[in-house]
Amino acid sequence: MRIHIIVAACLFVVLVMVGCRTTPQSQTAKQLTLAVNSGVEGDALKQAALDYEKQTGVHIQIAEFPYANLFEKELIDLNARTGAYDLIMLDDPWFPRFASRQFLTDLTPLLQKRGHNGPDSDFVATSIALCRNPYQTGALYALPYVGNSQLFFYRKDLFERYSLKEPNTWDDVLEAAKTIQEKETEGGKVYGYVMRAAQGNAAVADFMPIFWAFGGEMFDTAGKPTVNSPEGIAALKFMLELGKYSPPGYASFNADEVGAHLLQGTAAMSINWPAWIGSFNDPAKSKVIGKMAFTTLPGARKTGQAEIGNWLIAIPKDAQNPEAAIDFLLWATSAEQMKESAKRANPPTRKSLFQDPELVTRFPSYPAQLKSLETSRPRPRTPQWNEIENAFGIFLSKANSGELSAEEAMNQANAEIEKIIQRGQ
Amino acid sequence: MVVLLSLSIYPLIYSVTISLQAQTAEGSVWSISNFKRLFSDSFFLTAMAHTLVYAAAALTVEFLIGLGLALLLNSQIRAKGFFRASLLIPMMLPTVVVGVVWRLMLNPNFGAINGTLKHFGLNTENFTWTASPRLAMLSVIAVDVWQWTPFVFLVLLAGLQAIPQEPYEAALIDGSSRWQTFRYVTLPLLKPAILIALLLRTMDLLRVFDQIFILTEGGPGFATETISLYIYRTAFRFFDFGYAAAISFVLLALTNVISTIYIRLLEAKEAS
Repeated sequence: MRIHIIVAACLFVVLVMVGCRTTPQSQTAKQLTLAVNSGVEGDALKQAALDYEKQTGVHIQIAEFPYANLFEKELIDLNARTGAYDLIMLDDPWFPRFASRQFLTDLTPLLQKRGHNGPDSDFVATSIALCRNPYQTGALYALPYVGNSQLFFYRKDLFERYSLKEPNTWDDVLEAAKTIQEKETEGGKVYGYVMRAAQGNAAVADFMPIFWAFGGEMFDTAGKPTVNSPEGIAALKFMLELGKYSPPGYASFNADEVGAHLLQGTAAMSINWPAWIGSFNDPAKSKVIGKMAFTTLPGARKTGQAEIGNWLIAIPKDAQNPEAAIDFLLWATSAEQMKESAKRANPPTRKSLFQDPELVTRFPSYPAQLKSLETSRPRPRTPQWNEIENAFGIFLSKANSGELSAEEAMNQANAEIEKIIQRGQ
Repeated sequence: MVVLLSLSIYPLIYSVTISLQAQTAEGSVWSISNFKRLFSDSFFLTAMAHTLVYAAAALTVEFLIGLGLALLLNSQIRAKGFFRASLLIPMMLPTVVVGVVWRLMLNPNFGAINGTLKHFGLNTENFTWTASPRLAMLSVIAVDVWQWTPFVFLVLLAGLQAIPQEPYEAALIDGSSRWQTFRYVTLPLLKPAILIALLLRTMDLLRVFDQIFILTEGGPGFATETISLYIYRTAFRFFDFGYAAAISFVLLALTNVISTIYIRLLEAKEAS
């Protein structure tokens, strides 16, 4: 019996000693913890972390989450101020929420300490503007890592066959959709256009470029919602008109369905994100190899503008190693390292890389992407964006599934958005 | 006991507290604003109505088909074992898998269902299933029926097999018809099994989440949004845990009331 107690006591002492030895080690700057999304963007950063570890000996731990869970995970952690992460990847619409609640570290002092006045001027202006709170003018809380913005995809071969010119306006798009759908009858039906109008993010993302081109604005200067303005209603009416040339059931389409239609060659045009471009030249997936072209978004009353969708990297306010974190962040977003990420099919956020000859040969759509990114617009910058996007998406989806008219949908959406804003005040 | 306290009682009390608090600039204050908001929230009211329609429709169909199958497979037919086993397959699949498979089958353009209908010469242009506001609810109910009828069937079959032979023999001697035997012998003796099947299914149906989330995400245009989806959205998308807790308590109360009604109803009949 006594021996047992002695053994147990010895074990306890050993455990305590081991515990004491490991704790101080983990507190040195030799370790960083990163929260990344599982997907191509996160994969690139993971690979960069491995390279960094080899070069510098800083141990980097990666916590990987699927897109939907990443937001929950980060918000819960930052809210509880656990300091679990030294660096977090975030999708730009989340940024106002994080920044307005003082969850992130102001990067400027850290940059100044390292002899920089601000972020490198090589970053595309629209990308760096996303990293400031308030937008464009405020303090810098993140650096842009992946520079996505929407592009207009169309079938070059069909446009040539029916002597259509590259669409400059949404009217051109509608005309082309009509022509292609009516005339292209051999070898199965080709829909003129394909869009996603599943409620939520999908419907809103596909609608915003039309809405902006028609002169719609989500809020007036006083911050009151104005989606039911005549311009907004006209834009939704146009979307419904275009929907007549979209495959049946598009009111429930998400990115997958749109991608499938384009890859199968059953639809001629769409708004989409650059991530899809690579798959069009993959013989295993694509029936349209060499037939797709990419350009900036069409306009209407105003010049076309794409929605921007950048991945940013930020340092949480309670990060344990902000100094080591900024060193890694600067390294990972340097031109040299971002080129590695670009080679793994992530659009960069640096102008020099969009113009890099090696990359342009590999990704011929880069000039169009840069033009789209430089003229792009962010989603309305409000901490309540998730809630507003959800409500707006529901009414857009209702209009597209034929349940509501354009006027009804926009009026109801406006009322609902107003309620959300009032709740936030 | 400690485990129970920390994993169940504490979160319960905590969720009651947050549902009764409102976030203001000065911090949290006690308030019933979350519960007040329920009545003016058209999204909540619609989601509630959808949940009730969904539960009632799925439950009725599942019960009728399940009972029919149980009676059929309780009688002497050939290859009984094979049928029984194969009927249970849907129930053993993870709901997420069922959701993904049906999502593909219901795809209006590439899906197996429209493909088959087309093969028989039907024009499937208007059959957009989960994308149509009218067919979406029907589609998600059909998927639930497909997956969970076997459960009702299994419970009822077990109930049927537990009924002794004697009452049937007595009924036969008394010269009762087939319908009379079913109505006055089988049904009353099957009541406990029916009660369990209905109770468990109702509770499951009221909190349905995964299939709908995968099939439609509540769309198109809110047409299939149920309470659980709305709670999830409120909590994890909008980060309004207080309001999400308030909605959860309404769902809990509803489940309780309906379950109690069931039990009372069946107990009362048994007594008479």
